[in-house]
Amino acid sequence: MSSGIIAIAAALAIALSTLGPGIGQGLAASKAMEAMARQPEMAKDIRSSLILSLGLMEALTIYGLLIAFMLVAKI
Amino acid sequence: MEHSSDVLISIGPVEITGVLVTMWVIIALLALLSWLATRNMKDVPGPLQNLAEMAVSKLQGYYEGILGPKLGKKYFPIMATLFIFIIVCNYSGLLPGAGHIKGFSVPTASLSVTAGLAIIGFFTTHTVGIKERGVKGYLKSFLSVLLPLTLVETFVRPFSLALRLFGNLFGEEMVTEQLYGIFPILVPLVMNVLSLLFCLIQALVFTMLLSIYIAEAAEEE
Repeated sequence: MSSGIIAIAAALAIALSTLGPGIGQGLAASKAMEAMARQPEMAKDIRSSLILSLGLMEALTIYGLLIAFMLVAKI
Repeated sequence: MEHSSDVLISIGPVEITGVLVTMWVIIALLALLSWLATRNMKDVPGPLQNLAEMAVSKLQGYYEGILGPKLGKKYFPIMATLFIFIIVCNYSGLLPGAGHIKGFSVPTASLSVTAGLAIIGFFTTHTVGIKERGVKGYLKSFLSVLLPLTLVETFVRPFSLALRLFGNLFGEEMVTEQLYGIFPILVPLVMNVLSLLFCLIQALVFTMLLSIYIAEAAEEE
């Protein structure tokens, strides 16, 4: 297997796996900001659950990163 | 994927790896710290006892918020133990020399360790379910139209727990190393500051998900 194809596959793995979580995190953050602006007294609770949900979404990107590293190790 | 070059000594089939040694050191340090903090407890606490009391009450409040007051009191010790162990393991990667000195590598950046933690979580969940509802009641909770889906979910959960923790820590280490390769001064610091946050979040996410699973397994219909 040529190493060029593996390199492209690794790049695609991380590039594509950032797309979905990126959009999702943006949506979650924007909604959380809206909620915080509307109800500033709830800001503390909203912030902590926002960070947790961002962490969960981040994991999806990390799966892609993991695959990318595994592919790079194969070159 | 796993680096087998980490082996320090092998006694027969048992291989003592750097990860294992780091884990022992962390466990010993935590045990020593807890012993020192609770050695002679007073009504007016000293600094160490104060710190330990604060940590315990904060963690208890957090897990009781998820598990509810009755389950929270019962199962908060295991969640807090897992949380403290995971967070200390995560933060050990920020010490200089982690992964480069022989016998010192971040435990949670190894799939074996996170898989072990996830297996503990898997058995805890089902033990709690059986204990709270009885064998019959717990098995009955699986019986519904969605049986295959529930079964698949049950076995996918530990995998996702293990992979999430391992992937985050491993990825963090690798990215820091790559940044160090690009430009060794100040640039890796950016990733280190980020990992201060990520390490905390990953420890929180792991135990939070586990307590949600436990709460789900134990709930009465």
